[in-house]
Amino acid sequence: MTTVGALDAGALPDRLLAPADECELLPRATDDRSLTAELLGKVLQPPKWLTPAIAITGALSSVLVVCVGYTFITGIGVWGNNIPVAWAFAITNFVWWIGIGHAGTFISAFLLLFEQKWRTSINRFAEGMTLFALVQAGLFPLLHMGRAWFFYWLVPYPSTMSIWPQFRSSLTWDVAAVSTYLTVSVLFFYLGLLPDLAAMRDFAPERWRRRIYGFFALGWYGSVATWRRHRIAYGLLAGLAAPLVVSVHSIVSMDFAIGILPGWHSTIFPPYFVAGAIYSGFAMVLTLMIPARRLYNLEHIITTAHLDKMAKMLLVTGLIVTYSYAVETYSAWVGGDAFERHMQLHVRPFGAIAPIFWTVILCNCGTPLLLWSRRIRRSAATLFVLSLFIQLGMWLERFMLIVSSQSADFLPSSAHGYQPSLIDGAILGGTLCFFLFLFLVFLRFVPFIPVSELKALNQELGAGQ
Amino acid sequence: MTSAPSLWAEFDQGDLAVAGALFLRKRGMNHLDAFTPYPLLELEEALGVKRPWLIPVLVLLGASLGGSLAFVVIWWTAAVNYPLNVGGRPLNSIVADIPIVFELSVLGAALTAFGLCLALSGMPRLSHSLETLPGFERTSIDRFWIGVSDTGALEDPSLPEQLQQIGALRIHRLNGGVDREA
Repeated sequence: MTTVGALDAGALPDRLLAPADECELLPRATDDRSLTAELLGKVLQPPKWLTPAIAITGALSSVLVVCVGYTFITGIGVWGNNIPVAWAFAITNFVWWIGIGHAGTFISAFLLLFEQKWRTSINRFAEGMTLFALVQAGLFPLLHMGRAWFFYWLVPYPSTMSIWPQFRSSLTWDVAAVSTYLTVSVLFFYLGLLPDLAAMRDFAPERWRRRIYGFFALGWYGSVATWRRHRIAYGLLAGLAAPLVVSVHSIVSMDFAIGILPGWHSTIFPPYFVAGAIYSGFAMVLTLMIPARRLYNLEHIITTAHLDKMAKMLLVTGLIVTYSYAVETYSAWVGGDAFERHMQLHVRPFGAIAPIFWTVILCNCGTPLLLWSRRIRRSAATLFVLSLFIQLGMWLERFMLIVSSQSADFLPSSAHGYQPSLIDGAILGGTLCFFLFLFLVFLRFVPFIPVSELKALNQELGAGQ
Repeated sequence: MTSAPSLWAEFDQGDLAVAGALFLRKRGMNHLDAFTPYPLLELEEALGVKRPWLIPVLVLLGASLGGSLAFVVIWWTAAVNYPLNVGGRPLNSIVADIPIVFELSVLGAALTAFGLCLALSGMPRLSHSLETLPGFERTSIDRFWIGVSDTGALEDPSLPEQLQQIGALRIHRLNGGVDREA
């Protein structure tokens, strides 16, 4: 093989392309070679801040390792949860993280099926986010079981105990849903990545890099028949991943809805949770993307038009969430169940948890209303701040949902408050650091803008030639 | 076709490659192949690539297998091997089976789709027979290659020049993996 890396890598100007018109979803007329050189160059010549950032987030992730290790050795008594509030932080974090993952799949699967061109610049970004959020999410149910080393008891395997998992329990549904979701997300991500890994293999100047990327590219060469198969398989995977977005969070919501606790036992939960998941996930995509596009000088690839469209998605899902809150409260009011009414109309808005309830309303119902303004939708800095508020709101929503219902059920004698421990907070913070660490490592080594898809879009829009 | 003697033309633009493919098809050549940096629908049409029916059919089969396996395992463990009465509910409650059966169907389908896409394309592989073509690695970046292995094409001395008139940058003749400039 000739040293094709010398082709462009030596002559990589910092900015090959002028910033495009704000409305465009693509850089203005550019050829395949410079597009490849620019986008792969971001990975081959990473910005200076990246290595220290990886080191810092990696070091901070050790908090997670230490706290998880402590929990393992001592037992989950080191957490704040206890009967009756047995779920608390662990399940709040699980629902929050897995919800964040959903926006990535939504962007890559739903928007592919709807042939939305604006997905191209951001889909890999969002898919990466999905995978890393799922890693965090999976940690919590495992730890929450108490004896995490017996996690395999949840899988039906022939054992000497001759006992099986109880498949009428939603816990086993979660196992099937989350592990399927993780597997399909990995396959979808990797299949889309193959052509770009091959481009990396052929473009990288150093031999060792070509070897490593070549290994992961699995010998991809884009023959017409291969591309055709790839398109069909990718489309099928998108079609399979799309119902997963809906089903996984529906199943997560059934963990609540099939329980009879006031505030949980409601048929609105599946759609309400799915909308909330996509809502918080889109907020996370914005939180990650806005700094990354600035730091990587990608404003002409991930344009203001992209931000505008994402903000519109936030607005729509935010309104669905608001509607769900309203329906939930209204159903409690007219439903005639005294416990449900007490939960929805007294405990949450006026009880001890009221400050959290009203923060949730402010963050999740108030914030998206600002996005009616075109100016706000197109302001990266404002969107970044709003996205943080939405994520805070969505985390608190799950926390409020879990803690309020468990701390005040049917019998006054079983009512008991909840106080998180330091370890609870440290584990949540640790997963945030670990998530950022994985994401930065992804930016460092993986072509995070889908190059071949952008080239195809370029050609389709007639700018390529 | 890559193991048979063949003629390869390199283009730097997709539409020229499409023109080259159409030209070869018009000349009655049917053993054609092409490599591109991104999917080019026009080229697929020009080469007359058929819609592969195998993948969707087998993916459906994969989905059925995954779902059936899930159902059989749940039914057998809960209703046959170790029946457990939980509040008088039916041992084999199909409604409660829906989530897992659905998820496992999706899993079976996804694994089949991914596996087939790789296996039918000969992946994973360590090397490719066309890697000996000089500059072939740029096919993942910005170059388009059209290959023809009809004996008529290989015996026609005027073909390389005609392809160059269409816009081919270089023409290579490949004899069982050994490259020779045409």
